[in-house]
Amino acid sequence: MIEVKDITKSYGKTQAVKGISFSIKDGECFGLLGPNGAGKSSTINMLSMLFPPDTGSITINGTNASNANAQVKQIMGIVPQEIALYEKFTAWENILFWGSIYGVSGKQLTNKAEELLKWVGLFDRRKDLVKDYSGGMKRRINIACALLHSPKVLLLDEPTVGVDPQSRNLIFELIQQLNKDGMTIIYTTHYMEEAEKLCDKIGIMDNGKIIAQGTLDELKTLSAVSDMIVVDCTQTPDEKFLSDKLKTNVAVNENTVTILSNDSKKDLTNIVTTCTDAGYGITRIDIQKANLETVFLKMTGKQLRD
Amino acid sequence: MFKILQKELKALFKDRRAMMLGLLMPIILISIFSLAFGGMNKESNRKTRLLVCDEDKTIFSQKLVADIDSVKNFETATTTTDSAIDLIKNGKYPAAFIIHKGFTDSANAVKPLPWELKYDVAQSVEMQMMQQYLFQSLYASIGKRMNERMMLRNMQQQFAGMDSLSMMMAIGQMKKNVDAGAKNMQELRENIMRIKSEPIEKAPDNAGIVQAVAGTAVMMLLFSLTAMGGRLLEEKENGTLKRLLYSPLTASDILGGKMLASILFAMIQLIIMFSFSSMVFGLVLVPKIAAVLLLIVVTAFACSGFGMFLASVVKSRDQLQSLSTLAILSMSVIGGSMVPSFLMPSWMQTVGHASINYWSIQGFYDIFWRQLPITDFVFLKKVLVLFLFGSVLSTMAFRLFRKNVTSMA
Repeated sequence: MIEVKDITKSYGKTQAVKGISFSIKDGECFGLLGPNGAGKSSTINMLSMLFPPDTGSITINGTNASNANAQVKQIMGIVPQEIALYEKFTAWENILFWGSIYGVSGKQLTNKAEELLKWVGLFDRRKDLVKDYSGGMKRRINIACALLHSPKVLLLDEPTVGVDPQSRNLIFELIQQLNKDGMTIIYTTHYMEEAEKLCDKIGIMDNGKIIAQGTLDELKTLSAVSDMIVVDCTQTPDEKFLSDKLKTNVAVNENTVTILSNDSKKDLTNIVTTCTDAGYGITRIDIQKANLETVFLKMTGKQLRD
Repeated sequence: MFKILQKELKALFKDRRAMMLGLLMPIILISIFSLAFGGMNKESNRKTRLLVCDEDKTIFSQKLVADIDSVKNFETATTTTDSAIDLIKNGKYPAAFIIHKGFTDSANAVKPLPWELKYDVAQSVEMQMMQQYLFQSLYASIGKRMNERMMLRNMQQQFAGMDSLSMMMAIGQMKKNVDAGAKNMQELRENIMRIKSEPIEKAPDNAGIVQAVAGTAVMMLLFSLTAMGGRLLEEKENGTLKRLLYSPLTASDILGGKMLASILFAMIQLIIMFSFSSMVFGLVLVPKIAAVLLLIVVTAFACSGFGMFLASVVKSRDQLQSLSTLAILSMSVIGGSMVPSFLMPSWMQTVGHASINYWSIQGFYDIFWRQLPITDFVFLKKVLVLFLFGSVLSTMAFRLFRKNVTSMA
């Protein structure tokens, strides 16, 4: 369905995307996971043909995207990171407008608009101005506006930023349902829980590169660790001191220390002793099974939210 | 409070272009207003362009032409009467002073002089001032000679066929004639040297309304269309421009749609303004409706092009606000929206040609003051210039927008 080969993108002297490649099968949900500034939005902008890559190629549905811009755009729905809606319009007016620019019109448009508004649970509020909606409601309309033309591929660029947990769960359900109905999904996020929950395949991006990609299980195997020990201290520990003492990758984020381990029972004693000897009081200890955070830490030596 | 002050100053200095425009704008506007209006009271700054047509072609008439040419308030050119009328119609000259055949004979016979002043109805106000200068120069040139001839005429009438005693009495009468000089002067002004003065077209009853409506309409249109151009920046700021660019629409589709909306809005605004003026102030529209509509369409096109061009040049709404205020007020001053351009120094009137206001207002003068038909080239020339303004500005706007669209989004 989508084939990305060695694409790069620079802004002036800064290279935001440094030759990434991945492929997505029809009906797959692909997650691009990475911290802010990793190059996810640039990748999404190239995939959505906002601008072409400097080098490399993107093939969507068998068509080279740079040769058939309008044709490819027609099969793609894009949910931008910003709530890109006209706030002075009602939800109904917004949804009709965004559908119409993809060539949907007449009865087909109004039927689809009605169906989508019911689907996102906002049909009863369709006549309200968008400016009067809550953040979560706006996010749902933001998604609905990308679906009027029944796209084959849906790109969602961090669609849950600034959303409360209840609305986030609702958005997850909507995305899962679309994927279940056969829609190919590309989902960018810097929340590993979202990628783990939604995506069949995940590409982990950092500093303009995909540092690892595969299914969740493949990535966990790749990290070659089974546990992650998280220790909250009374003050911010010295990262270098702990790394030297424990002879492993240690990530410190404010007062939290994260350490990868293959034998958490054995390593835990060592960590507690080292921290206590160094004068760092311990307030919480948590042992987590390997997840995307573990993979990211293993690959980059830093946490996703650094 | 200090933190807020720091933050505000930081925000201000972030957009240096907007800050510079904000600081420079008052200085530039003061300069433009001073240049435009400061020269109004300095007679030396204002030379009225006057055509002189000598149909009499005698030594006496030629001396008069030379004397008019030497007056510092006039910038004269000689031509035939027919071409003078054409030049006034074309707006090249505001007036022509015509010395008809038989001028010298009438002067010798102390009869009303066959001369007249033809002028552009759009320059009526200026003509009132000009006639004063003209009469002063005419009186300085031939007034003394005419006065002497009138005195001689009076003497001949009073002393014809009288004996020497009576002649002695005539000398006494001469003294009285000195007193009669003042009376002669009045006769010269009101009868012998009276300049027949009329516009080449009949002036409408509501001439002042045309200046007020046309001038204000174009200026306000520029402001509202620049605000519409600002919507482009608003779309950039709220992310909808980026979303539009994700769709199959091209950058040209987006700007083209916005431009058409601006033109339509401008046309509606102008139609409302002129309809209101027609209903409330009695501006007669009906016989000229086709010409008015044509001028409304090209004015709307030119003003929309201007609004889109500004919106494509600037990077923020603050920059747009400063730049548009500066550009629109400047164009409105030099183009005659605020005061009629003929009240400004002649060089400023020439500079005014660079504004949309000038061509649109002159077009409305053509329709309502000069009563030109829609087919007249003089009127069509203004339509063409406004169309060119719109074409050039919108082409530049499209190019800039296409070039910068990705960074804008």
